[in-house]
Parts: sequence; C-alpha cells; structure tokens
Amino acid sequence: MVRTNKDRFFLVSLLMLISASLSAKTKEYYLTLQNHVFVPSEIVIPANTKVKLVIVNKDDTMEEFDSFDLNREKVLFPGKKGHIFIGPLPAGRYEYFGEYFPNTARGTIVVEANHVD
Amino acid sequence: MRIVTLLLLMISGLVQADGIVVDKVYHPYVLPNETELEWRLLSRQTSENNLLGQRIAFGKAISERLMVEAYLVGEKTADEDFGLAAYELEFRWMLTEQGEKWADWAVMLEVEKIHRRNDWEVTSGIVFEKEFGRTSLTMNLFAVYEWGDTIKDEIEGEFRLKYRYRWIPELQPAIEVYSGEDFFGIGPAFMGIFRIDRQEQIKWEAGFISEISQSGKDHSFRLLLEYEF
Repeated sequence: MVRTNKDRFFLVSLLMLISASLSAKTKEYYLTLQNHVFVPSEIVIPANTKVKLVIVNKDDTMEEFDSFDLNREKVLFPGKKGHIFIGPLPAGRYEYFGEYFPNTARGTIVVEANHVD
Repeated sequence: MRIVTLLLLMISGLVQADGIVVDKVYHPYVLPNETELEWRLLSRQTSENNLLGQRIAFGKAISERLMVEAYLVGEKTADEDFGLAAYELEFRWMLTEQGEKWADWAVMLEVEKIHRRNDWEVTSGIVFEKEFGRTSLTMNLFAVYEWGDTIKDEIEGEFRLKYRYRWIPELQPAIEVYSGEDFFGIGPAFMGIFRIDRQEQIKWEAGFISEISQSGKDHSFRLLLEYEF
C-alpha cells in the first residue's frame, strides 16, 4: 500500500523502469546484398545480446541467407528488405552464406565480449 | 478458444491417447517457396504384433508462413498386407520469426480420412522450439479428435519432444520422447542435412524409441527422408 510521497516516487520510478525495459528496442545492424555480395562482409555485435540484422537485397534475384552457426535461414526477396533476429550468443565468429550464390555471397558475424559501438 | 480448452484438458491428464505416438517431432519453421517430397517409415515391434507404416507426402509453402502437406499413408499390420490406409492434409502456420521471441512458435492442423471407411481424425496443436547455445529443444503438444462409423468418438492427447545437439549439419544427435496415455517412449535419434544446390537439400531423421512405462516389448524404429527443392 502506498502511504508517503517517497513510496509514490519509488512506485512511479519502478513503473517507468518496467515500461522502459518493455519498450527497449532490439539494436539493429544493417547488411546489403548487391551483385551477390554481402556488404559489409563482417559485422561486429555484442555478446549475450539479441540483435536484429536488417538485410536489403538490391539484386534482382532471390537469395537465401543460411547459417548453421547462427541456426538461421531466411529468404531474401529481390529488391526487398528482410530481417533476422540473432542471439544472444557467446563471443566467437559465426559464418553465413547465400544458398544461391555461395561462392560470393558470404560473410561473418563477429560476436565480441567487450563490444563498444 | 476451443483449441486452447482442448490443450488445457490434455495437459491436465483428462484425455487419453492409445494410438501410435512415435512419428516425427515437428519444427515450427516455414520458408517461403519451400517445396518438399517426404517419405516416412515406422516399424513397431511389440510382444504380440509387428506394424509397418509408411507415408509419402508432397508439401509446399503457400505463403511466407504457411506450409501445406498432403500425405498418402500405407500400413501393414498382423492382419493385413501392406496397402493404402489413409489420406491426410496438414497445415503448419509459423507464428513468430526465428529468434524474435523467447521461443519460436507454430500451430498445426491435420485432417486424416481412413481409406474406404467413413472414419476421420483431426489433430490440432502447438509446436515450440527454443535454442540453448548449440542445442535446441523442440516440443509438440497435440489434441486428436477421432470419429466415424467404425471407431469410437474420442479425444486423445499427444506430446513429443526432441532435444538436439547441432553438431554438424549432416549429423545432429538428439533424444526424443513420445507420450500418450498408454505409451511413454524415449530413445536416441539423429538428423542431418545434405545440401545439393541452392534450395535443393536432403534432410534425414532416424530414431529408436523404446516404450518404458510397461514391461512388455515395444520398440519403434522411425526413418524420414525429405527432399527439398
């Protein structure tokens, strides 16, 4: 039961904290597929944190992002934007490739324990 | 709401299952444009009976999140030679993007008709998968409603579980658990993927499940081959 201004202050602070944590947005990282090459070829993300990888396919052909390391598969439609949720992951290097052009469409997600943007 | 009620009833143990529970643990994922041919085999040996079941299926993702599969089911029992036993239509609807929520979810609906008999079975349920590092826990919870001219109207419950270590794409060892009211089976299983070209790949699964809640012999071997293109 709220009795004093101090109690009210802590209650409001708690509610604001809960509200902020609920609305906290997953950090986004961007990747472009052009001429069947992922750019940049390496993206660094923090360890133990879920991130959203936004991928723009600028080619006029379909591609499929595939990574056994990341346990993800995603169809990338030509001229469209897609996204993949990654993590939380421990530090390490995680390879991925495009199923349609595996020789050129390749990249790495580097997960760093002491990552600073 | 009806599905939720059925699932709650099932969880509470008020419904019973007495059919063949060992089959396949479904994953919640659907990929757009995915087309597949599937073959499943189940060989079950008990003290009194041997049963051989096979099913072939054609599946196609008809939207970014909805997969439809049509099955022909064949069976050989102690009394009957191998032959067509049933037809089945299955819908799997992916509810969440992989990794988006705490776990990945899908819902399923299957409608099966027994060959040359007015007997039907409708299965609905939820499919769940959660990653823990390099391992994945997959669970299926189904409510099965049967009715028809030669079978008793009843609601059954089924639970399937797979805990898989994603070792290498071609070989991923797992433990599988299958449960109904009169069956509780557990055993080792394996799955893998061999890539051919682009979206072309072959998936395989095998499992050796032993019934452990009763003293009699009851072993099942299951095999699945899936060609995706």
